[in-house]
Amino acid sequence: MIGQILIDGITSGAMIGLGAIGLTLTCGLLRFANFAQGEFATWGAYFALLIAGALGGAAPLGPLTFGWPLLAALLISMGLTALLAWSLDAVLFRRLRRHGNAIVLVIASFGASLALRSAVEFLFGPEPYYYSRDIAMTLRLAPGMRATADQLVVLALALVLMLAMHLLLARTPLGRAMRAVSENPDLARLAGIDAARVVRATWLLGGALAAAAGVFLGVTVQVRPAMGFELLLPLFAAAILGGIGSVPGAMVGGLVIGIAEAAAVPLAGAQYRAAVAFVVMLAMLLVRPRGLFGGRAA
Amino acid sequence: MTGLLSYLCFFATVALSYGVATLGLNLQWGSAGLFNVGVAGFAGVGAYAAAWITAAPAAAHWGGFAAPIALGWLGAMLAAALVAAVIGAVTLRLRADYLAITTFGAAVTLQLLALDLTALTGGPFGIAFIPKPFEALADRPLAFGAANLALAAAVTAAAFLALERLTQSPWGRVLRALREDEAAAASLGKAPARFRLQAFVIGAALIGLSGAMQAQFFGFIAPDNYLPVFTFQVWVMLVVGGAGNNRGALLGAVAVWALWTLSGTALALLLPGFWQARGAALRVVAIGVVLAATLLARPRGLIGERATVSRHVAQAGG
Amino acid sequence: MSLLEVRDLVAGYEPGLPIVRGVGFALDAGEILVLLGPNGAGKSTLARAVAGLVPVAEGTVMLGGGSLLAVPAHRRIGAGLGFVPQSGNVFAALTVAENLAIAAAVLPRAARAGRIAAALALFPDLAAARGRAAGLLSGGQRQMLAIARALIPAPRVMALDEPSAGLAPKLVGTVLAKLREIAAGGVAVLLVEQNVRAALAVADRAMVLVEGRVAHAGTAAALRDDPRVAALYLGGVRAA
Ligand SMILES: Nc1ncnc2c1ncn2[C@@H]1O[C@H](COP(=O)(O)OP(=O)(O)OP(=O)(O)O)[C@@H](O)[C@H]1O
Ligand SMILES: [Mg+2]
Repeated sequence: MIGQILIDGITSGAMIGLGAIGLTLTCGLLRFANFAQGEFATWGAYFALLIAGALGGAAPLGPLTFGWPLLAALLISMGLTALLAWSLDAVLFRRLRRHGNAIVLVIASFGASLALRSAVEFLFGPEPYYYSRDIAMTLRLAPGMRATADQLVVLALALVLMLAMHLLLARTPLGRAMRAVSENPDLARLAGIDAARVVRATWLLGGALAAAAGVFLGVTVQVRPAMGFELLLPLFAAAILGGIGSVPGAMVGGLVIGIAEAAAVPLAGAQYRAAVAFVVMLAMLLVRPRGLFGGRAA
Repeated sequence: MTGLLSYLCFFATVALSYGVATLGLNLQWGSAGLFNVGVAGFAGVGAYAAAWITAAPAAAHWGGFAAPIALGWLGAMLAAALVAAVIGAVTLRLRADYLAITTFGAAVTLQLLALDLTALTGGPFGIAFIPKPFEALADRPLAFGAANLALAAAVTAAAFLALERLTQSPWGRVLRALREDEAAAASLGKAPARFRLQAFVIGAALIGLSGAMQAQFFGFIAPDNYLPVFTFQVWVMLVVGGAGNNRGALLGAVAVWALWTLSGTALALLLPGFWQARGAALRVVAIGVVLAATLLARPRGLIGERATVSRHVAQAGG
Repeated sequence: MSLLEVRDLVAGYEPGLPIVRGVGFALDAGEILVLLGPNGAGKSTLARAVAGLVPVAEGTVMLGGGSLLAVPAHRRIGAGLGFVPQSGNVFAALTVAENLAIAAAVLPRAARAGRIAAALALFPDLAAARGRAAGLLSGGQRQMLAIARALIPAPRVMALDEPSAGLAPKLVGTVLAKLREIAAGGVAVLLVEQNVRAALAVADRAMVLVEGRVAHAGTAAALRDDPRVAALYLGGVRAA
């Protein structure tokens, strides 16, 4: 029971963490809560659906339900969603930033999120899609602890992406510049950092990671227009839990939220998933608004 | 002809009910700078309260006290105010964008409760047979529509006048002062938290009233009515009309509701058969574009506040 | 023509509300100009306007004969202007080494290590603290790091906003003496200071700003003996 909660919670938590990285970065850098972040996951999942479809069916890999076309689609979709996130900033948020209204940005992102989701619903309809019709093979990891091969591979890929993101932030000049702008934009300008370039990179990375989260969600659950919307509260919860601006915080926050949701399902029922994230987030905001990792203050 | 006229009456009635919600949001955001993204939640609370109070007893849901509609609307305002007092007491001290996230979360949670607590709410099927005002006139569509419109107009006018007085009163001035410069206002001995909570609660009561009006005019409610799209509509109305201005709020409500209705009709005419079922989604995209365009081109809306709407927003984000 | 020339500068945070109201001065290579004045006089605003952080409404800022006004703030370091702001002058969450690396990133790759080494030679304390988060440094080390950060890209003009603020009296002298060393290397230094005596001791020239206007300008030596300085600073506004 506990083991099952852990494995389910960690898998969905890893996806939440992936999506929350972009959220926490843009929130830390641009000081606004982007309600459209969840939709990047939705678009990522649908991009991959189209691309994998176009690449055609290939035999599934080993015990998985999907083959290399989906892996290729994952990469291409990450690229496309990165461009989507970047263009949303270019046509909407960047111009509104010039007016200098942080809260207007939030309203705009709320509108953008509904528009993006409704566009998907218009194009694909409300019914769910699956990357594969195959039945996922279940492995017994320990007594009372089962996971599908898909779940494990997705978890591994998510962890690899998180590690890569962590290394990028910690070790590369771009990562250094991102941390610098996030901490002190004025000083970053004085030090010769082009903040606009850093912001661009942040949208691209955040969009790509959210797309990966969406594809992984599609592999383990299903592809639906509302998938990103339902992810939104968990994403916010993870970002706030980990401390706004903190990438390791978002990852850990994602895991905590994932496990809390999985633990709450047997108690309250699956329909309250989103509410669980909300309650955890509210508790965090009231008790320790800087988050576990001491990000920006509330 | 009568058909068109009674349709126009119904259109205006609904537009005005949105106007009441927009007025409530304008008090919260336009006057007090409180960023409420949970409008749908408060409207839902009001709608269910009114339905419970006024509907006839039914097995499918709780309540059914068959009380007069006026009582139902009063109860709706009280219920929404109560929920707002609880949510506000917990969240109003948070930074603006955290307030947005938490009110959003509260509305999502309320909607989940409406879906799940079937014994209370009728679950996904909602509550039907909510009595309509002037039901005795129902067989004369034009008189029925006109009477309902008159009722909606009277309620909206009352809300408008009350808010105009309220925002011009010393209380309203303190509110605006708080919004512009909390430290300065607080140093004058005004307790910011209390004023904010009052504005939040009064605004929510109006939003609850708007939910109750719609429940009564449509005669039917379901959890699906209170999705974030509702919040979004009211926000677009306020932004398009001009935050900080009650006239603007009403104008925005009517204009956006007209746009919403017309775009629905237009899509039904233009879209080929298969796509029609999905027309509703395209409508949301369209109105999202209207919002973005308004924010970019006319950040103060059709009629903005006289002074600059928001120095506070520049700082609110941190 | 001087290295840095500021003429009739009007600058402020909101349109129509100038804080700096028509200030001009010139600064030559190797020279230290100290900017004095009571709290709120607009000293920081002037320095920040020169650095490109505060919008300029009127006037000119020329460096080496070229106008800086059209140069965005993040390019001014490349144009030869280094600035150490009054507060938040290091990246607290980054290590000392990372702070230095960010500064060096504007230089050609081959020059980076050499400039960092030169800065560490000037501030030996920092070398030992390279792996430490800048937020954990002592006040003195922090100022050293802030100055090193601005110095690494080899600016021709360096502006510093109260680099001695909050330092122990002994450290004030040390930090200001470093500025003398930097100026000796041919850098023009614009120094905003509240430690009037210590600042006048290292400066060549001085300028007093009151309510956004130049109330007095002259050599540091002349100002040291000027009774008006005493009136401004010892007469209740702020003791030196
Ligand atoms: N970010 C800002 N926005 C608006 N006004 C500001 C801002 N920063 C400073 N001011 C105002 O500009 C005026 C001058 O401030 P400035 O910081 O330039 O003074 P200063 O001479 O550096 O004072 P100090 O000795 O205290 O550092 C003050 O009235 C201050 O209130
Ligand atoms: Mg200053």
